[in-house]
Amino acid sequence: MIRVRQLHKTLGSQEVLRGIDLEVNKGETCVILGRSGCGKSVLLKHFVGLLQPTSGAVFVDEEDIARLPERELGRIRKKVGILFQSGALFDSMNVEENIAFPLREAGLRDPEVIREKVAEALEMVDLAGEQEKMPENLSGGMRKRVGLARTIVSRPACILFDEPTTGLDPIASDSINHLIRRLQKRLSVTSVVVTHDMKTAYHTADRIAYLYEGRIYFLGSADQLRHSDDPVLQNFIEGRSGDSD
Amino acid sequence: MFRFLGRSVLSLLQYLGELAVLFGETCKALVTAPIRWHLFARQLVEVGFRSQLVVIVTGAFTGAVFAAQTFFQFHRIGMESAVGAVVAVSMFRELGPVLTGLMVAGRVGAAIAAEIGTMKVTEQIDALRALGVHPIDYLVVPRVMALMLSMPILVAECCGLGSLAGYLIGTKVLGISEAYYVDTMLKFTGLRDIKMALSKGLAFAVLVVFISCHQGLNAKEGAVGVGRAPHRGGGDRVAGDPCGQFLPLLRPQHHLPSGLVVCFFHVP
Repeated sequence: MIRVRQLHKTLGSQEVLRGIDLEVNKGETCVILGRSGCGKSVLLKHFVGLLQPTSGAVFVDEEDIARLPERELGRIRKKVGILFQSGALFDSMNVEENIAFPLREAGLRDPEVIREKVAEALEMVDLAGEQEKMPENLSGGMRKRVGLARTIVSRPACILFDEPTTGLDPIASDSINHLIRRLQKRLSVTSVVVTHDMKTAYHTADRIAYLYEGRIYFLGSADQLRHSDDPVLQNFIEGRSGDSD
Repeated sequence: MFRFLGRSVLSLLQYLGELAVLFGETCKALVTAPIRWHLFARQLVEVGFRSQLVVIVTGAFTGAVFAAQTFFQFHRIGMESAVGAVVAVSMFRELGPVLTGLMVAGRVGAAIAAEIGTMKVTEQIDALRALGVHPIDYLVVPRVMALMLSMPILVAECCGLGSLAGYLIGTKVLGISEAYYVDTMLKFTGLRDIKMALSKGLAFAVLVVFISCHQGLNAKEGAVGVGRAPHRGGGDRVAGDPCGQFLPLLRPQHHLPSGLVVCFFHVP
């Protein structure tokens, strides 16, 4: 579904990605782990053409999107949806208008059909009946759910999750983890989850990629990661900084 | 010193290049992309209809004060009847477009830059792109269309109300003969002056909307960046325009919209 080859990205004077090779297979959930600021979100944004690589290729369904002009990326983005870290809801629209946005932009005009699809998407993210609320009246977890409903309402083949549990309490995080898994089963989507939360990684992942110093340092299953004796991986899993008091 | 100059020149060239790209992309979108008429209508109300009060009040007060001051000076040499011509010609050729430009730059330009800038730093523009919607089609095109339609109308209102206020002050308060006032006003104010006012209004619309949208789309550094965007997009940058309007007056009366060059010399 998504494949990147020798992906390099430099932002300002900093080389963030230094030759990433990664393949995400159809129907699987791939989790990209790494420390804050290591380039996980930058990598994720390449998958949907929000960033262009300095060099390298990004294939979505075998089509290289790395050099596609913005207007041609529209059809790729119909296949690949993204849930932003903050939810990125349009703050001038209520929940219903936010979720209906991609439907209206796709040319759907029948208000009844739009209302049904919005209600169905909200039901999938456990927010049934919240159509009238404005984004500023939603909690962090609810914003992410509404953002997710907006992403899934047009039924993309692949969903990218950018730090879906960051800033949420443990219970809300667990709820989002279940939601990701449930959606994957219900919609049979390919998912890529960027996180530094080990609970999210273990709960949702079919495969885990660990990003370290701009490269994929580890790629394997959750069990392989858990039982790895590599000190870099173990320090991350255990949350050891190596600093002393 | 040379490094500073070099950086300034490069920065200016980059800024001009970015504006040119935005202008080109918008022109292309106006022709090829679907027009979102509901957004256009909303912007028309926001930037045009809601700017009327401030523009009309400014124009009317300027016309009234200008008429009074001109009368006080002309009265000494017995040329009161020329007040109408001076007020009307000044309103149409310079004051109307410049005052409207400043009011709209301050009110609308700053709002556009702040709104788009906020969307940029809160990832809403990335969300638009991720949903397959080009930000220029959705955010810039409706604003460009609305301001280009509104601005000449606002300029006309400002000039018209300014001239009317001048007429009322001159004839009803200061006692100038109505016949003389109207006669000199019509004698010296022609179609050419009206065309000049409207074309300058159109030029201001292009400047205000593209500079503001550009600043919004390029907002950085979170809340601080959003805070700076309106100044760059609205007041500061367009403040160059009155100078640009005035300078060509030093040459023989110039018909073409002015202000384009001086405005850009504010390096981002």
